[in-house]
Amino acid sequence: MRGYALGESHLTSFDRQFEALCRVQRPDRYRLLDALPTDVPRIPRGGGVSYVAASFGAGGVSQELGAFDRLLAFDEAAGRLTVEAGARIGDVQRFLLARGWYLAVAPGHPRASIGGCIAADVHGKNPARDGTFRSQVEAMELHAPLRGTVVASRQRNPELFEASCGGLGLTGSIARVRLKLARPPSGLVMRRVPVTSLAEAAAVLRESANARVLYGWHDGRARAFGRGVVWVGLSSDRAEGAVEDMPPRDADLPATVRALPFEVWNRAGIAAANGWLGWRWRRAGQSPESLAAALFPLNRARVYFAGFGKAGMAEAQWLVPHRRFDAFAEALADEVARSRPRITLIASKLFAGRAAGLSFDGNGVALAIQLAAPREAPQQRFLEALAGLALAHEGRPNLIKDSSLDGEVARRGIAGFDTARGQLAAHNPGGLHGSELSRRLGL
Amino acid sequence: MKTMVVGASSGLGRELATELARRKHDLVLVASGRRDLEALAADLTLRHGVAVELVALDLATAADPGARLLAALDAESALDALLLPLGMSRGHDDFSLDAAAIGELLAINLHAPLAIIHALLPRLLAAQGVIVLFGSVAAVRGRGRNVVYAAAKRALVSVYESLRQRFAPGQLRVQLYEPGFIATNLTWGMRLPMPASDPARLARQIVAGLGRGSRRRFVPARYALIAALLRGLPWALYRRMRA
Ligand SMILES: Cc1cc2nc3c(=O)[nH]c(=O)nc-3n(C[C@H](O)[C@H](O)[C@H](O)COP(=O)(O)OP(=O)(O)OC[C@H]3O[C@@H](n4cnc5c(N)ncnc54)[C@H](O)[C@@H]3O)c2cc1C
Ligand SMILES: NC(=O)c1ccc[n+]([C@@H]2O[C@H](COP(=O)([O-])OP(=O)(O)OC[C@H]3O[C@@H](n4cnc5c(N)ncnc54)[C@H](OP(=O)(O)O)[C@@H]3O)[C@@H](O)[C@H]2O)c1
Repeated sequence: MRGYALGESHLTSFDRQFEALCRVQRPDRYRLLDALPTDVPRIPRGGGVSYVAASFGAGGVSQELGAFDRLLAFDEAAGRLTVEAGARIGDVQRFLLARGWYLAVAPGHPRASIGGCIAADVHGKNPARDGTFRSQVEAMELHAPLRGTVVASRQRNPELFEASCGGLGLTGSIARVRLKLARPPSGLVMRRVPVTSLAEAAAVLRESANARVLYGWHDGRARAFGRGVVWVGLSSDRAEGAVEDMPPRDADLPATVRALPFEVWNRAGIAAANGWLGWRWRRAGQSPESLAAALFPLNRARVYFAGFGKAGMAEAQWLVPHRRFDAFAEALADEVARSRPRITLIASKLFAGRAAGLSFDGNGVALAIQLAAPREAPQQRFLEALAGLALAHEGRPNLIKDSSLDGEVARRGIAGFDTARGQLAAHNPGGLHGSELSRRLGL
Repeated sequence: MKTMVVGASSGLGRELATELARRKHDLVLVASGRRDLEALAADLTLRHGVAVELVALDLATAADPGARLLAALDAESALDALLLPLGMSRGHDDFSLDAAAIGELLAINLHAPLAIIHALLPRLLAAQGVIVLFGSVAAVRGRGRNVVYAAAKRALVSVYESLRQRFAPGQLRVQLYEPGFIATNLTWGMRLPMPASDPARLARQIVAGLGRGSRRRFVPARYALIAALLRGLPWALYRRMRA
């Protein structure tokens, strides 16, 4: 066929909270990017590994950009890579690490695409040091039905550039991107700092703001709430297999992890996992680690995700300003003690950026709280209470992760939500671009 | 090793180009979309360090595609392999096409491969090279659909036989692959009676066979059985399969 072809696929969000039979286009040539009739509602789709339904739904066509995964130009001296936006972050890192460069900001799922990382303005292993994904984007080429093909950068079409970083695919399909690269460390030493509370973790995070890798893992059970370990990844001169240890493509975490037929993360399962994590890691020490392993630790987490079973999971991530964080952590501990939700893991991260548009950025400490069976009433009530507490402490929600958010919570949590919404609408004439996420948030 | 892939911008052709680059063939890539070819050429050069030239050409309208491709080769350079995975099918190829549409299907599926082979034969003979043609299971037995497409693909079987009859194995090798359904844009969205094959896997198989002698193969191999069944089906039964 020389025209566009549409197929039908069952698409599911990574957290399993939304599933739909969708029309899917898989353009594999540039002319097909612009081939859909101009009045057809659509949404770009990259790796499709968002926790939420951001790249499908709302009756439109998902435009899957996986075929646009080619490397276009590599300036080895200046550290610049031009690449098609469907390229997977894991593949790009494999190519770059073998040549002495890497992307300092990369999410934990190696199948996330470059376009998806821009549209969700994702963060990496230490946003306080490296910022969010937009900090390494210099320019992009966007395709949209009524506007045609446009190049946007901080100099050319700056409003479109800003709106597209964190724009959730609503400004058109990003086809090509020029990225600024960073030099990787020759090796990493991962230092473990045990903590007994989230407030203590926040203090450790603040002290280590300049580390290459920086995050905490914490117990979410009432009896041990916040106890955990903060990982501080420091550059080391020892070349600890940065390149050789980069696992092959086959070892990447799959786009959809097949659910186990039963739920592992009941209270006993959660207790056992936390017990093991505590025994294995919650003591001071340090060990060398390859950069590759530190970049994609979730490649080893298939069983963890499968263990949520068919009921799926939720990840609620909130960024709370420093001055409110300790009070938030305390209130959260009280809520957990009261409602005893089934939290499988809490991850903490430090941010030191400026919140722009709908992006998940700002200055404070972020907690990502993962829960089992989010449709069960007690779990749902906890998620609502969590949102209430976070909002009361000036928290900002991460839209690309949390299926439980609605438009009202997003508006209250994101200062300038309506302005950002207006800017997106200006670059989305006729509201042609839309997803389940944009519908749910009223974007 | 210099290899030309005509129809390299997508599907099986793109996978063939990728596999050839992995095996360090220098390449000449041909299709109509210049941006697609440029992107692929850049990618293969960056990843595999091979030299890649490209010719962007609409084979449906080019009067003499062979001459254009010949001109793109250096004056004296031999060509080790010519792969022709170009192709086009249409949804309404069921006796409802007009003459222009019939002409376009024949131009892409038959005229272009023939004209290109004619023009490049001297270069292939100079290298004792190999021509790889792509037919289709759709051409095993004529049906009420894919009428023109299947006729053109069936004609390629004749081209394969002509080449083998004309040239000794030491002069030129000829390979004809007749694929079943492949998971490319050509089949995306179609309701298929069986799962489509991974084009990357087929490409590995075809490129691995390049050094071998002349051959005619259904790919994947299970289609040989399906083709035999189709051919063997009594006419009265076959006629009824008109869905
Ligand atoms: C296990 C796991 C770990 C994760 N780790 C992190 C992490 O460490 N940090 C973090 O910030 N996030 C993380 N995420 C979230 C993930 O990185 C983002 O959801 C990302 O957007 C996924 O990219 P994708 O290509 O799969 O996008 P999709 O899910 O396909 O789409 C996401 C959004 O991007 C848009 N989009 C996709 N491609 C394009 C394009 N070419 N042009 C325009 N818009 C486009 C879509 O329309 C949609 O709005 C994680 C997710 C999982 C499941
Ligand atoms: N897919 C299947 O199920 C299937 C089954 C049996 C046989 N086959 C055969 O296998 C081969 C590969 O198929 P595929 O699915 O990989 O096809 P495809 O993805 O559609 O690719 C066809 C290639 O031919 C090129 N082409 C088409 N028209 C052209 C034109 N006018 N000028 C220049 N180039 C042109 C295309 O490039 P541009 O678009 O850039 O022009 C593209 O590179 C074909 O011969 C096909 O007939 C396929």
